[in-house]
Amino acid sequence: MTFRGVSPGDLGDAPSDAELIRAHVDGDPEAFAELVRRHRDRLWAVALRTVGDREEAADAVQDALLNAHRNAAKFRGEAAVTTWLHRIVVNACLDRLRRKQAHPTVPLPDGNRDDDRPTGPEPVAPVADQDTVLVVRDALAALPFEQRAAIVLVDVQGYGVAEAAEMLGVAEGTIKSRCARGRARMAMTLGYLRGNQNGDGTVPSRSDAASPLPTGVERREPR
Amino acid sequence: MTGTEFEWGEFEGVDIDLLADYVGGALDGTPDAERVAGLVATDETWRAAFEALEPGMIAVGAVLRELEPEPMPDDLAARLDTMFRVAGGATEPAPASGESGPVVAVPAKVVDLDKARRRRRWVAPVTVAAAAVAFAGFGVNAMLTSPKTADTAAGSVARENAPMSDQSTVGGDVLRSGTDYTSSTLAQATATKLRSAGSAEVPQVTSANELSADSLDRLNTPDAVDACIQEIARINGGGLISVEFMDYARFNGRPALIVRFVAADGTWVWAVGPECGTPGAGADELERVPVR
Repeated sequence: MTFRGVSPGDLGDAPSDAELIRAHVDGDPEAFAELVRRHRDRLWAVALRTVGDREEAADAVQDALLNAHRNAAKFRGEAAVTTWLHRIVVNACLDRLRRKQAHPTVPLPDGNRDDDRPTGPEPVAPVADQDTVLVVRDALAALPFEQRAAIVLVDVQGYGVAEAAEMLGVAEGTIKSRCARGRARMAMTLGYLRGNQNGDGTVPSRSDAASPLPTGVERREPR
Repeated sequence: MTGTEFEWGEFEGVDIDLLADYVGGALDGTPDAERVAGLVATDETWRAAFEALEPGMIAVGAVLRELEPEPMPDDLAARLDTMFRVAGGATEPAPASGESGPVVAVPAKVVDLDKARRRRRWVAPVTVAAAAVAFAGFGVNAMLTSPKTADTAAGSVARENAPMSDQSTVGGDVLRSGTDYTSSTLAQATATKLRSAGSAEVPQVTSANELSADSLDRLNTPDAVDACIQEIARINGGGLISVEFMDYARFNGRPALIVRFVAADGTWVWAVGPECGTPGAGADELERVPVR
């Protein structure tokens, strides 16, 4: 179910990502739009799961892609284009989350804005899985956002630890630690520890899920 | 917390983050890995915590992998596509000292979406259309900053819920003047309106009833305005545009949306018909004049 990058073999005669970037920098008016079309679903999925709000995710993706569009000439090709794009998008998401944390929004009179809940709820999965999806999504959204970003890239999107480390600009050990601590928190939140998991292997219902863990000062992550 | 046999406090004395690092392989090759392994082997609480946590973390990993991916919404995909196809048409030479290769000319001041959204709550519904434009990446600076549109929160909420067609009295830089423009008055009259200064030179104003009876209703929805502005930007070919002013009016007697905007190729006033932005109609362009 995970998204992965488009490998050269999948492209046939189509230009590679790097060729599209070069064409864009050289003035090809269609190249960047084609690059966006190629990767937009993956970038959207990362943004949506990381910020947990459709409007915020849309803004983050748009800002990030405009940034990439303007700064394409700075791309030197040390990383894959998809890694570079993900890095820009994830950074845009994290910047938004940090700003939101530093300057919480005062609820407006119409009551539509609540920073504890996504303002634009994601559509849910088919009814049979709806409860599980909601509970898991809530538990993911309750994680400290840097743990969430790492888990989104590695566990949800299926990127390797090394690739995720490059996307987030941190050491591989940091990614492993953020993922591990995030999974542990989610296991606690979901009541997923051994002896507490439902016999049929499902997660508890939304109302049964354990309370989120306290989000105090984090112990330093290993490098 | 309901019926959890193992709560966080159940493992008192266990550093759960450290144990999670151990389970997740983050300590591999470090002295901490041996230390935690020793604790799990010899300390009952650490062992209980390990035996609870490891399968729990594995289960969480499994359920995360099962989350279904969701493709980008069609409207966002379409907007990005249009934005970059339009923007891709305009490039500038690279600065003498700087990056190699040309820099693509997306305006530095793309509208602040957060700011636009905050404003939308206070000046709606005029800015409903404007916000849709903003979302597509087009600036709507003046449109959103007119003091005429400032109001109380209660008033704005009430108006936000009102249908767009009821807003014929709204001022600011989105007008419903009913003015009948001609080629020779487009640039001058929009400049006059933009300065909010009355003038005898402003063309004849049609009555509100007459305007409401015409066929500009289609352009009362944000999506329709959005599509129209995107078409104007595409056809103009000057990169992203920043809309300064819109007027639901007439041109040579025909219903027309008058759009004054700034782009990389200058300031323009376009008069477009009701079909602007519909498939096959392009911008339904009636006239365009540069502002000099």
